[in-house]
Amino acid sequence: MAIEKRPSDVPALTSGVGVARAPLGVFARPRAKTGWRSWVSTVDHKKIGIMYGAASLFFFVIGGVEALLIRAQLAAPGQKLLSAALYNQVFTMHGITMIFLVVMPMGAAFMNYLMPLQIGARDVAFPRLNALSFWTFLFGGIFLNTSWFLGGGADGGWFAYAPNTGVIFSPSHGMDFYAIGLQITGIASLIGGVNLVVTALNMRAPGMTLMKMPVFTWMSLVTQVLLVFAIPVISVALFLLTFDRLFDANFFNVGQGADPLLWEHLFWIFGHPEVYILILPAFGIVSEIIPVFSRKPIFGYPFMVFSGIAIGFMGWGVWAHHMFASGLGPISVAAFSVSTMFIAVPTGVKILNWMATLWGGKISFTTPLLFSIGLVAMFTIGGLSGVTHAVAPADTQQTDTYYIVAHFHYVIFGGALFGFLGGFYFWWPKVFGYFLNDKIGKVHFWLTLIGFNLTFGPMHILGLQGMSRRIQTYRDGYGFNFWNLVSTVGAFVIALSVLLFFVNIVRSKREAGSLPPPGPDPWDARSLEWSIPSPTPEHNFDDDPIVTELDHWWHQKYQEDESGRVVKVHEPEEIAMIGDGSRAHLPAPSYWPITLSAAFPLIGYGVIFNLAVAFVGAAVLLGSMVGWALEPPDDEDQAPHGHDDHDGADDDPAVDASEELTSEGEEVIVND
Amino acid sequence: MTARSSRRFKAALLAPLLLTLAACADKAPLDTLEPKGPEARAIDQLSDPVFAVAGVVFLLVQFGVLYLAIKFRKRKDDDDSLPPQVHGNFKLEIGWTILPALVLAAVGAGSVFTILDLADTPKDAQEITVIGQQWWWEYRYDVDHDGKDDIVTANDLVIPAGEPIALTITSRDVIHSFWIPALNGKRDAVPGREHPLTIEADEPGVFRGQCTEFCGLSHGYMRMRVVALSPADYEAWLVNQLTDAEVPADTLAKAGMDQFRTSCSACHLVRGDGGNEDLFKGAAQVSGAAPNLTHFASRGVFAGGIFDLWVDGDGNGEVDTVELGQQLNVADLKKWLRDPPGEKPMYPQGSRGMPNLELTDKQIDALVAYLKTLE
Repeated sequence: MAIEKRPSDVPALTSGVGVARAPLGVFARPRAKTGWRSWVSTVDHKKIGIMYGAASLFFFVIGGVEALLIRAQLAAPGQKLLSAALYNQVFTMHGITMIFLVVMPMGAAFMNYLMPLQIGARDVAFPRLNALSFWTFLFGGIFLNTSWFLGGGADGGWFAYAPNTGVIFSPSHGMDFYAIGLQITGIASLIGGVNLVVTALNMRAPGMTLMKMPVFTWMSLVTQVLLVFAIPVISVALFLLTFDRLFDANFFNVGQGADPLLWEHLFWIFGHPEVYILILPAFGIVSEIIPVFSRKPIFGYPFMVFSGIAIGFMGWGVWAHHMFASGLGPISVAAFSVSTMFIAVPTGVKILNWMATLWGGKISFTTPLLFSIGLVAMFTIGGLSGVTHAVAPADTQQTDTYYIVAHFHYVIFGGALFGFLGGFYFWWPKVFGYFLNDKIGKVHFWLTLIGFNLTFGPMHILGLQGMSRRIQTYRDGYGFNFWNLVSTVGAFVIALSVLLFFVNIVRSKREAGSLPPPGPDPWDARSLEWSIPSPTPEHNFDDDPIVTELDHWWHQKYQEDESGRVVKVHEPEEIAMIGDGSRAHLPAPSYWPITLSAAFPLIGYGVIFNLAVAFVGAAVLLGSMVGWALEPPDDEDQAPHGHDDHDGADDDPAVDASEELTSEGEEVIVND
Repeated sequence: MTARSSRRFKAALLAPLLLTLAACADKAPLDTLEPKGPEARAIDQLSDPVFAVAGVVFLLVQFGVLYLAIKFRKRKDDDDSLPPQVHGNFKLEIGWTILPALVLAAVGAGSVFTILDLADTPKDAQEITVIGQQWWWEYRYDVDHDGKDDIVTANDLVIPAGEPIALTITSRDVIHSFWIPALNGKRDAVPGREHPLTIEADEPGVFRGQCTEFCGLSHGYMRMRVVALSPADYEAWLVNQLTDAEVPADTLAKAGMDQFRTSCSACHLVRGDGGNEDLFKGAAQVSGAAPNLTHFASRGVFAGGIFDLWVDGDGNGEVDTVELGQQLNVADLKKWLRDPPGEKPMYPQGSRGMPNLELTDKQIDALVAYLKTLE
């Protein structure tokens, strides 16, 4: 039994005694199951996951337009499509948007939606905190992007090296938005991180030991642990920057004896684990998809798990490889050079294990699998170029050139994004109850693969030819012209592929009615989310699944016959849960997460423009906290339509439902 | 995947490789793989085998994936039975954990030796201080080792060929990065810190560079060159640089000198009777510095290296050492004096960069005549 129940002699704090039913009289308890109210008040991890996905795709379009502007500007030498000032804002915001507002939340979408399902849980550990995390992220992202209309976007690069980010060198409010905006999204990540770590550790279905967790859940757990430790480092750095810019502190003022390398160290101590935060969820996704379409279990499950954990640990010991040209001295450079080499080892293990999973399989080339194989091939290129700049002397020729731009796009786009796109096609029927069109999906894949390589492949050459990063334009006669043009053409091919993806979503939705529904397990898959109806019912599992082995769901379908051959003994429809929520108890929705998170941008605007607004924000924050604290976790006017998640054995129908919760003590699920 | 789509897959992977080869023919003055000095060569010799190993692994994985995709695709006549359910192979996996680790250990050892070698500065190397500021480079030479810099110049770093030069790199405002790919890797110029870097050019020649740490508005326009001279030419250059400017004989140039003293003394210094030492109080810039113009016409480029000062006589795209001092690039010089912020993104309202001085054509003609005398 994975769930530790709190001892019943601890009084239930959250239920309160005699608390008003409409908390503080501000909001009526939200009850909508559909419509926009159901979305803004939801605490359902699935709705929150969908919103994470939708928001990340929205920001993906913004970041993509920024990328196209960059590529248009660089299509030919000496162009003046964007001024230098605007160009600096565009590439800075492109980086921030793609990292913090696209890849991170896209990973969060999958982790939120899938982790509870893969571990057989009814929801995450703290559903209301989950909603708070999403809304805080969304408002942080919107806050960051409103800077375009309030004096200009951030212009110091996503890495924001001091002292170029001080008010003298960056006089607009862009960097203020950067410092406070990322602080807000950082709060979101931290809350989400704590939530999902607790979920993975405490909410697993009976029998699901850690080494029976699906690889995706494992990678999510590692990712969230990284977040919990990495975000505080960037938070500190951002606070220093905020105080330097807004309150005349001197943390990075060289005139006052400061050392700008303080920022570089803080930033990269966060920044390198961040790379693994971006990529590990996609590794997890691919580790789910490849076995399903090879019809084989993942090759070397323990190696996959431990290599992921190893990456999570080693990721903390390599940050200074971003600083080989910064003047750290030969000993530091040598040490970080060697440590960086060895982080390639667990990554290489993963690549080889995926290939070994394909080996001897019967591979069906569906769109999810194509994207997964795309990840294996493309990420390898990013990993190899990574090894070439782990060689510190070589890196002094490569760093801050387009070779690096090529490298990290092969990692983040060729790795993370390919994985996520595969994940979309794979889990779409589970989430929405209809398939994405596989034919369009294949065209989408090939367009993406071609556009991606056209865009970022030439950047290897440009970098080795000496083209610096972050330059608004380049001169004729440096040998940069041709490959820049190719790269720009590639970028527009990617844009086309993204467009096709959206077309596919719309068309598939329209066609869904005329096609047979996917059923619970359309891919003959392995993990628990495929043992319940599609789309996932609100309560997830009718009853707690009892897990006995890795890939439990698959083993329910396939067993050995008398001759020792593994054969199918059950069709998924026969043994899948039917979607009967009558025995489930669900946490009640709440408005407080969204109101509380709305306070953060208010405080941000206030600190930048007018402190009075910050006080309004602070009042909203405190009011929401109080409202949240006083709001009972369950809607007391609604008799819960079933007993609590894990209390089936001692259910007593005679006891009043709300009393039942009080007398038995709350579980973590409702006590956030 | 059908056989047809797998072929397309293969073509998509091969294309970048072929195109890479095609690109080598390009003229690329910043090429990182064309070392022209011992330091850059040491890096190149280290990275070549690493690229080779990476290339082999690249091919193995790409073709490995293709092979798996083709060999193990689900056939049309598949009987829907399960393939052998292999859960792993401990020995194999231990093997492919240890083998890459060994290869990487070898690469790591090579890296460490090269790192330590490159950190050694030869004892009696000539020292030059390199200072970055928005958005140009200054070089300071202490010729007589009295602790005072005797030569202060900009944009073109002049060195003798065939001997090691010990640079000390720093900055006056934000972080920049000094990089001449043909001579050595880059080293950041960080305010408040002094970073050593050794460079050496095998032969006389011009080696281009570009600031590589994002340094604000005009980062893309912050260029520099190293001009390596033969030892004899270098001695002559030193002697010339140590002289002061004299009052020009030509009337137009004399008028230009007066104009310079009036319009430019807030930032620029020209040493000597023909200059403005009496008026100059330090540059009115955030960095506190603007290019010292005492020997402006001895350089090959101006305005942070974005313009050639001399016309490219032989039209080879490069103002060679022989073309220096020949035909002045009057057109760009006038364009620059007419509207500096229009030619190069700057922020003069915040004392970062040269403002538009609203000079008349006559004043510009006089200034150009004067600047040409500053050899």
